[in-house]
Amino acid sequence: MAELITGYNIEYEETKESHDESNAQYLTFLIAGETFAVGILDVNEIIEVSEMTDVPMMPEFIRGVINLRGAVVPVIDLAARMERGRSELDKRSCIVLVETPLSDNQYQVVGMLVDSVNEIVEISQDHIQPAPAMGDGIDTRFIKAMGRVDELFFVLLDIENILSNEQITNLEQLKRMHQSSATTL
Amino acid sequence: MVDDMKLTFLQESEELLQQMEDALLAMEEAPDDEEHLNSVFRAMHTIKGAAGIFGYDFIVSFTHPVETVMDQVRSGNRSVDSDLVALLLECKDHTANLVQTVASDNEDNVPAELLENGCEILARLTGEGSENNSVKGATPSVAGASSPIEAEPQKATPNDNWVIALDFKQDALRNGLDPLSFIRYLQRLGEIVNIITFTHDMPAANEMDPETCYLSFRIALHSDSNKDEIESVFEFAVDDCDIRILPPHSKQITYLELLEDVEPESVQRLGDILVGIGAVTQQELEGALNEQEAIIDEAVANPEQKVKPLGEILVERNVVAKPVVEKALKKQEDNREKASRDAQYIRVDANRLGQLINLVGELVISNAAVKLMVDKYEIQEAQEVVAGVDNLVEDIRDHALQLRMVQIGDTFSRFRRVVRDVSKELNKDIKLVITGGEAELDKTVVEKINDPLTHLVRNSLDHGIESPEERLAKGKPAQGVLRLNALHDSGHIVIQIADDGAGLNVEKIRAKAEAIGLVKPDQVLSHRETLRLIFEPGLSTKTQASNLSGRGVGMDVVRRNIDALRGTVEVDSSVDKGTVVTIHLPLTLAIIDGFMVGVSGERYVIPLSMVEECVEIDNHQLDEQRSYVNLRGDVMPFLRLREFFDVPDDEVGDHSDRRESLVVVRFGRTKAGLVVDQLFGELQTVIKPLGKLFQGLKGISGATVLGSGDIALILDVQGVIGLASQRGGHKQGLVDHA
Repeated sequence: MAELITGYNIEYEETKESHDESNAQYLTFLIAGETFAVGILDVNEIIEVSEMTDVPMMPEFIRGVINLRGAVVPVIDLAARMERGRSELDKRSCIVLVETPLSDNQYQVVGMLVDSVNEIVEISQDHIQPAPAMGDGIDTRFIKAMGRVDELFFVLLDIENILSNEQITNLEQLKRMHQSSATTL
Repeated sequence: MVDDMKLTFLQESEELLQQMEDALLAMEEAPDDEEHLNSVFRAMHTIKGAAGIFGYDFIVSFTHPVETVMDQVRSGNRSVDSDLVALLLECKDHTANLVQTVASDNEDNVPAELLENGCEILARLTGEGSENNSVKGATPSVAGASSPIEAEPQKATPNDNWVIALDFKQDALRNGLDPLSFIRYLQRLGEIVNIITFTHDMPAANEMDPETCYLSFRIALHSDSNKDEIESVFEFAVDDCDIRILPPHSKQITYLELLEDVEPESVQRLGDILVGIGAVTQQELEGALNEQEAIIDEAVANPEQKVKPLGEILVERNVVAKPVVEKALKKQEDNREKASRDAQYIRVDANRLGQLINLVGELVISNAAVKLMVDKYEIQEAQEVVAGVDNLVEDIRDHALQLRMVQIGDTFSRFRRVVRDVSKELNKDIKLVITGGEAELDKTVVEKINDPLTHLVRNSLDHGIESPEERLAKGKPAQGVLRLNALHDSGHIVIQIADDGAGLNVEKIRAKAEAIGLVKPDQVLSHRETLRLIFEPGLSTKTQASNLSGRGVGMDVVRRNIDALRGTVEVDSSVDKGTVVTIHLPLTLAIIDGFMVGVSGERYVIPLSMVEECVEIDNHQLDEQRSYVNLRGDVMPFLRLREFFDVPDDEVGDHSDRRESLVVVRFGRTKAGLVVDQLFGELQTVIKPLGKLFQGLKGISGATVLGSGDIALILDVQGVIGLASQRGGHKQGLVDHA
């Protein structure tokens, strides 16, 4: 987590040392003007947007791959993933690196492109509510729960579902469609 | 520690068993080849020895009788026939099972049926060798199997006595020795069976000097003592007496067995070996060595004199029997061989090698970064140094990768057993022909190719090659031939599995594919396309599933496995002529020589081994309409990478005068042109996997990190050509059928 603090200017609230079991910390960030959050334990690090290499023949939400200290890591455009259009890169854009479980206990590090990172918040368990059956245009599979800090609500994202195996299969289908559409030209 | 040793035991046993199997199969072809016999014997013997060290008595008690039988075969007391080989193969399998119980930590609780099975095999093995039914240890006992030496029956043969020759020197009496006292003392070690006194040196009475000793004795001693103990009796007489102690006959057998067990750790000198097992005492050895030295001195003065080897001297001096020396010499030779083998190979943990190769990969990237920096700041002085380092890094890379290269021959020869067993089971006569076994490829690739190969071989055996009657009816020789072949081709290894069997029935495949909805009845497919259907899931034309294959899984698994290795698999077949399955695989999954090209802002790496040539082209040379380019009369298809990959154009305005380059790539017999914007030249390319997310992506096989830290994608030339021909093919198809 040291990287998290040094790597980006986040006000880490050390004040509330009482790490109650019912309290959990979340990283909040902005995507297309909306606030989302992921559990801090899922986050490996946050980095600035560096040079990204496009991977051809992939759906739009795969933004490309980056070089993370010698490893090739795919970057997902969360805005595009949630059908909010391709996100525009600016000074505040960053990549949140998370580990997503794959099949057979393997993990893959994946970068999530977000518009900006806000802060780390602590939310007590009773301020977390189950995902609504129907949301505001977000695929409900991506929503793990809704969190509330003061009067502000935000979506806690389900990282596993954002790139679950099933999703990868969907990717392959998408790609096949891409191919077949090309072949019928 | 113990676990480490156990692991070594398991590994070595596995290797030895494999060697044994190879040798046994070879023995079927050439029963008289001594090398194979020795190899089988060695395997059983070494496993027995190692198991003994660990106290795995159940292994010892099984392998020992097998070893004994092998020894009979070696000495010509038993002949090799196919029954014996079959039985020995069973023994090998059973030993493998026993070793497996150790591997699964079950050594304290060996399944009873396994042991019974072992007894049964042994009974057949030893029972059939009728002239020698008394093979010891034929009924293995689990607990406390006695060691082979103790088990040797102590036969009381007439000459089961030590023979001691005492030749006293003339000064013996003057020096205060009493020969009789030695002989009396000798009785404490055992019974003196006989004693002969030689008096032939005794002169006539008038010439005799009473203070001179003229006597020699030959003593037959029955004793359980060893040679050293007996010699110690004469310790004080050494200077005044020539002593030779000949072991009893039964002891010689013991020596021979002891020799068998001499630790092969170091190459010992002959004398040391003999002293080590007690066949010769240190005194005797020194005497013999002195004699040899004297002979050498003589030889220096007189070149005619031949220097006798130590063994010969020892035999001549009657201190040791000839067979013992011969055996010791052979053992010495074996050990020397083994020592030199050990020196040639070092066992290395595969993970460590992997780490090394990863590090070399990082080194390659860092080196590229340094090169870039030196070029950028134009540091003249550093240029030369960097060039030197560059060469070294390239060498290191090649050598590091070479470390992991193994010959495919070992993988191939494992199928000898499969072919043998399956053909027996199916009552077919099938010969396996292996060629190109010396072709090398990365161990990581070899490991993963084993399963698909097994599938393909079994398919050929089961479905491909017909029974002898069928074959004869078709006018083919009764014996079917299965060929495994490997060769290198443009950075790939090509593996072929060919049989001369029935071939694939295109109509049947087609019907089945239609039945399961894979193709539509009106779809037009070429011969090759139809054949390719066999790699689709759920397609098996054999109506009756055998226990080997035919369940409709397999071929699709084969293709998936090979796809995962970034390889391709092709099948060609004609009815009653046979089937050829050809697999193309990359040699390594780590580092390759690449050729970098630029398309707009993006950079791609093409494996250098696939690049034939690069030419600058003008737009009008390309037939845009039909996607063909005429290069010096050679017509080949081309594709623009920019269009193919949908790379956004970074230049605006008129493109007609843009200079493009054509990179001619070749894969197998297919040639194609890739049109790119820029050529960057050769590049050492460290392949980084793209991860599961991009698993199904065709056309891109991986990524690499450039010196600048940027990422370039590696083109999968086969994939690109495949995709392009698919797209092009359909286009063609549309035109044709319009």
